Amino acid sequence: MNQLLYVQGVPFWRNVVVLRWAVQIVSAILVIAVIAGFFVNVSAEIAARDIPFGYGFLDREAQIPIGESVIGYHPSDSFAYGLLVAALNTVKASVLGVILATLLGILVGVARLSPNWLLNRIALVYIEVFRNIPLLVQLLFWFLIVLSLPTVREGYIAFDAFYLSNSGVNLPWPVPQDGFWPWALATVIGIVVAVIVARRLHWRETETGKPSYPILAGLAIAIGVSVIALLILGPMTIEVPTPEGRFGRPQGGAELSGSFTALLAGLVIYTSSFIAEIVRAGIQSVSKGQTEAARSVGLSGMLTLRHVTFPQALRVIIPPTISQFLNLTKNSSLAAAIGYPDLVSVASTMTQTAPAISLILVVMLTYLAMSLTYSLIGNLYNRAIRFRGT
Amino acid sequence: MRWKLALVLMMMAVFAFVVAACDGEEAADEAPAVAQAEMTPEPMTSRLATVQERGHVICASRNDVPGYGSLDANGRNVGFDIDLCRAVAAAVLGDSEAIEIVLITAAERGPTIQSGEVDVLVRTVTWTTSRDAQWGNYIHTTFYDGQGFMVSKDLGVNSAYELSGASVCVTSGTTTELNMSDFFRQNNLDYNPIVFEDTDVVLDAYQEGQCDVFTNDRSQLAALRSALPNPGDHVILPETISEEPLGPVVPHGDEQWFDLVKTVIAGIIYAEAYGVNSGNVAAMAAGDNVKVKRLLGTEGSFGQEDLGLKDTFMQDVINSVGNYGEIYNRNLGPEGIDLPREGGRNALWANAPCTDCPKGGQIYAPPLR
Repeated sequence: MNQLLYVQGVPFWRNVVVLRWAVQIVSAILVIAVIAGFFVNVSAEIAARDIPFGYGFLDREAQIPIGESVIGYHPSDSFAYGLLVAALNTVKASVLGVILATLLGILVGVARLSPNWLLNRIALVYIEVFRNIPLLVQLLFWFLIVLSLPTVREGYIAFDAFYLSNSGVNLPWPVPQDGFWPWALATVIGIVVAVIVARRLHWRETETGKPSYPILAGLAIAIGVSVIALLILGPMTIEVPTPEGRFGRPQGGAELSGSFTALLAGLVIYTSSFIAEIVRAGIQSVSKGQTEAARSVGLSGMLTLRHVTFPQALRVIIPPTISQFLNLTKNSSLAAAIGYPDLVSVASTMTQTAPAISLILVVMLTYLAMSLTYSLIGNLYNRAIRFRGT
Repeated sequence: MRWKLALVLMMMAVFAFVVAACDGEEAADEAPAVAQAEMTPEPMTSRLATVQERGHVICASRNDVPGYGSLDANGRNVGFDIDLCRAVAAAVLGDSEAIEIVLITAAERGPTIQSGEVDVLVRTVTWTTSRDAQWGNYIHTTFYDGQGFMVSKDLGVNSAYELSGASVCVTSGTTTELNMSDFFRQNNLDYNPIVFEDTDVVLDAYQEGQCDVFTNDRSQLAALRSALPNPGDHVILPETISEEPLGPVVPHGDEQWFDLVKTVIAGIIYAEAYGVNSGNVAAMAAGDNVKVKRLLGTEGSFGQEDLGLKDTFMQDVINSVGNYGEIYNRNLGPEGIDLPREGGRNALWANAPCTDCPKGGQIYAPPLR
C-alpha cells in the first residue's frame, strides 16, 4: 500500500497512474449517470402522461395510403412492411441522389478550376447560389417548378411513349419474362470474361507497348454477349405507358413522380455544390510540382488530371464526400413537405394509429443503419486507395 | 507489480460501490415518480394556476383555412377554432386577447397535446376513440363535419365512385388520410395518393392539377374553395364518406382544467339557446330568468367555485366572444365562409325555453346547475 501511494516519493494525488484512473472513472460515472437520468426521466414521464409505447403494432394492418413503392404496397399490408416500403423509398432517393450528386459535383468542381474564365465563373455562381440557400426552400422551389408544368392530360408526349407533366415522367420500361434469369446469368458471364480479357490486353499493352485497346475490347465483349443473349432468349418485353380512364393518367412502364423528381433535383443540386468545393479543395491540395512534372513528361492537361492530379486528390476528397452522402440521405427526410412518401413522412402518418415514440425510434435506427453502411463502404474504399508504403 | 493489481482491485471496488449507490439513488428516484403517477393523477401545480400566473392561454391551432383559423387583414388570428380559444381565455383571465396561438401541422397535433405543452388543442380535430385514449381529453363536439371530395368541374365527375384512376391529394396525419384509404380499398378503386404535410401545398398541387381530387372535411373544402380564383370551376362530390365530429382537446391528467374548458364550451351553447348574446349580457344578467341569471353568475351557481373561476366568468366570455351562434355566424356563417347552418346538424337542438320543440340540430349543452 505504501508502495502504491508513494511511488518514488510522489504522493498519490499527484501520481499519474492514480490520476488517469480517477479521470476515467469519474467520466464513466458521469456518462452512466446522464444516460440513466435521461432513461429514468423519460420512462417516468411516459408513464405519467399515459403515452403509449411498444412494438406490438408492427404485425397489425397498416391501413394507410403510401403513394409510391419499389416493391408494391397495399393498405392491408402490415406496419412493418409499410415501414420497409418507406425505407426503400428513402434508399431510392438517397442512392440515386448520391450517384448524380457525385457526378455533377466533380464536373462543377473541375469546371471551377478551369482556365476558361466563363466556365470558371459559372461554376462559382452555381456553387455560391445553391450552397447558400436552405434546402427546404430549394425543394419547394423545384416542386413549384414541377407544378408549373402542364397537367398530365395536357402534358408533353413524345412517340406516344414518353410523358412529361406536373405529375412526373413516364417512360417505357422493360418487364422481365421467363428468360430473364438465364439472360442475367449470360450477361454476368460475359462481364467476367470481358474483365479477364481486358486485364490481359492491358498487361500486354504495358509490357510490349503495342496499343491493344483493353477497355474497348472489354466493352465489346460484355455488350456483345448480353445483346446476343437478349436476342436469343427474349427475357424482357418493353411496357409502354398508355393513358387510361377518365383522368388520362399513363399506366404501365416506369414512373418518376413529380414529388420524386423535385426531391431528387433539390438534393442533387444542393449536395453537388458542396461536393464541387470538396473536389476543388482536393485538386488544389496536390502540389503544383506534380502537375509541372506531368506536363514536362508530355502529358496533356486531361491526362494529367486523370492520371496524376485526381488520384492524389481523391485521398483528400473521399472522407468529406462521405459525410456529404450522409447529409444527403438525412436531408431526404424533408421529402414530406413535397409529398414524397419517404420514411419520415410515412412514419408520421403511422403515428395516428401506432405509438409515436416507438416509430421515431425505428426511424432513427433506420437512418443510423443507412449512414453507417455508407460510412463503411466509404471507409473501405478510402482504405483501398490510400498511400501504401512502397 | 503487485501494487498495480492492488490499484486495479481497489478502483474496481470503488467503482462497484459508486454504481451500486447510483442504482440505489435511481431506484429511490423512480419509486416516488411512479407512485405519484399512479396515486395522484393531478400534477403538482394545476394548469389553471399555471395559466393564471402566465397571463395567457396557449392554444395549438392553424392559420391556413379561412373560417376555422386564418389571419385577417391586420394579421390578427381569427376563425371558429381561434374564437373557442378566446372564449377559454376570457373565462380564465377575463381577456379574450390573452391568447398565444401555436401553429402546428395536422401530424403534430397528437404529440403536441400529449406532451402538455399547450393548454388547448383547437385545430379541426376529429374526435376518435383512439385519439381520446392516446392524445388527450375531448371536450365536446363543436362542429359536425364529414369527409368529401372536391374535383375540377371540367373532369365531368359526378360521384366519388367514379374516381378510379385518379390522383388524390390529402394532408398527412389526418383521419381524412385514413378514411380515403379505407374508401378506395373497400370499393376496389385504383388511385394514387399524394400526401403533403401542409394544407397550403395540398391546395397548390390541386390548383395546378398535379392531383385530380382534393379530399378533406366538407366544410374545409368549402372554405378552401371559396378562396380559389374561380370557385365555380370546382365541385364537391355528393358522397360524404365519414363522420368527423370536431372539437377542442385538453391534455390528459388535469381534471379541473378538463371540466373548466368543458363548462366554457357548454356555456356558449347554453347562452345561444337562452338568447344571451354579446349585445344583451348586462340586461339579461339583471333580468328575471333564473337559468340565464345562473349562467351569468347573478344567481346561484353551477359549480364555478369548484372550477376556480369567478361567478360571472360567462359574462366576460359572451361580452367579448359572443355565444355559439355569434361565433358560428362570424366565422363559418354569413359573415364568414357562408356554410348553411339552419336545418343542418350544426343547428341547435332546440331554442329555450321550449326545450321540446326541436330544430333538428345536434348542438346541445348539458344543463347548468
